Amino acid sequence: MSTAKRSVPFSLSRLGIVAGNTFLEAVRQKLFNFLLLLAVALVASAQLFREFNFGSSELKFIADFGFGAMVFFGSILTIAATAQLFFSEIENRTALTLLAKPIWRTEFIFGKLLGVFAVVGVFCALTTGLLLALIYNRETALIEAHPEAFEAGRLIHYGDLLMMGVLQWLKFGVLAAITLLVASFSNTNLFTVVMGFFMLVICHLQYLARDAYSHVTALPLRLLVQGLGYVFPNFQVFNLADQIGIGQGIDPMVFVRVGGYALTYIAVFGALAVYSFSQREI
Amino acid sequence: MNVAPVPPSLPHAAITITGLTKDFSINLRGVKLRAVDNLTLAVPEGQVFGLLGPNGSGKSTTIKIILGLLEPTVGECQVFGVPSGRVDSRLNVGYLPEAPYFYRYLSGTELVRFYGRICGVPKARLADRVREVIDWVGLSAAAHRRVGTYSKGMLQRIGLAQALVHDPRLIILDEPTAGVDPVGSAEISELILKLKTQGKTVLITSHLLAQIEDICDRVAILDRGKLILEGAVAELVGRQDQQALIVDTLPASELEELRGWLTARGHTLSAVEQPRTRLDQLFLNKISRSPKNGGQA
Repeated sequence: MSTAKRSVPFSLSRLGIVAGNTFLEAVRQKLFNFLLLLAVALVASAQLFREFNFGSSELKFIADFGFGAMVFFGSILTIAATAQLFFSEIENRTALTLLAKPIWRTEFIFGKLLGVFAVVGVFCALTTGLLLALIYNRETALIEAHPEAFEAGRLIHYGDLLMMGVLQWLKFGVLAAITLLVASFSNTNLFTVVMGFFMLVICHLQYLARDAYSHVTALPLRLLVQGLGYVFPNFQVFNLADQIGIGQGIDPMVFVRVGGYALTYIAVFGALAVYSFSQREI
Repeated sequence: MNVAPVPPSLPHAAITITGLTKDFSINLRGVKLRAVDNLTLAVPEGQVFGLLGPNGSGKSTTIKIILGLLEPTVGECQVFGVPSGRVDSRLNVGYLPEAPYFYRYLSGTELVRFYGRICGVPKARLADRVREVIDWVGLSAAAHRRVGTYSKGMLQRIGLAQALVHDPRLIILDEPTAGVDPVGSAEISELILKLKTQGKTVLITSHLLAQIEDICDRVAILDRGKLILEGAVAELVGRQDQQALIVDTLPASELEELRGWLTARGHTLSAVEQPRTRLDQLFLNKISRSPKNGGQA
């Protein structure tokens, strides 16, 4: 097992082991309990909407509220979990023991990213599943109470809601990759979390800057704005709330394009995090 | 005495360090701190090698360079002939860090299995190998407890188990007895000597010089990043021009007679002392605890 010299190729298996351990850390510490608590809170708060009855608008409202809660808590969870799961390795010096093994730093960084992505995936699956169940139950109750309003069948496109859940998960993946990039050169957990939230705000608002400068004629400024538009992902592209549930629905091609957009940014920010981390002296 | 470094071209060197210098930037104006200064050293294969020095002498920085965790500013370091910056240089290295802190949420078995998988121990052998090394370090009884509940001595031993799980040829132990009681410390010494009998190379740093003297074949002493002494322990601490004779207690008259006999032959009786047992040995004898106590350290 230990004599001949041999090279160590990049290994998806090692990456998966790091990801699995990251996920396990999140689950065995408080994060998973936090997830469950949020999910239960969401279900409990949704019961309040049973007091209202304004047909399809109520269902749309529940969907919007549910996804709003998912985006809000999911963003907090993504930034906090990424920073915590990375810095726990650095501050506790477990990274020292791990990186002293035959493992590439690329495997370590992408393993961390995949682990956080899995944690957020569980969160999205839970909240989306609960939301779907909630809306389905409420729609069933409304159909029984007002059959005339549902003569054409159910109003809600449940597949669209599912796609929306997947898109939010991908958006959290981009946010995790950005936070990991910050963590790779940052010295403290707090700085990483604060920067993560700054980046979240910038990515949500960058479309405003692009709109405002769309009429700029000066070429250098226009190029600068366009450049920044590419550097910071536009999180508004994930917001398909107006198209979900009721109405025309989500175009599958739009879903695929937005998915590709997210995966591209995850890969680029992840690669930058690897480069930055490879320069870091542990 | 023996300041000259061991030639880096030693045929069977586990570690070869040549002209190694490491600077750290300590502020934005480019002021640098030299942690290691032109170090040339070779650690022979199959020996226990002590790297000594006061705090801040560059021991940990040297170890981190050997492990590829830091890049040298100047010079080079090879592990079994492979530059230490390459991932494959760590295939045959096991490392126990100073004051180890492991994933608290894993059990001892899970922890060792995790590192075994990272090191590529074949799946078919993994379970047996994990059990074997945990048993070897005497932690079988506590293997299913979470690492977060382990004492310092147990942490050192599980750290040793994770360092050995992939059967490396070189084991690097950074302060393995720091904060460990004399019983735990003696157990670790015993394990290190067992590793030597298995043909492993061990590089150890410790402030317990008595322990180093007992277990090391060679030592190197660093101070402010520079190598100030290197050589075989027996040569460095033994006095070649004197001998000690240990006899039963002699009456004063016979002692005088012996002194006269020696003087007549041109020798000097330098000292007459009562031999002393070492305090750590006395402590261990009085405690009389079994070396392996199932993780109750």
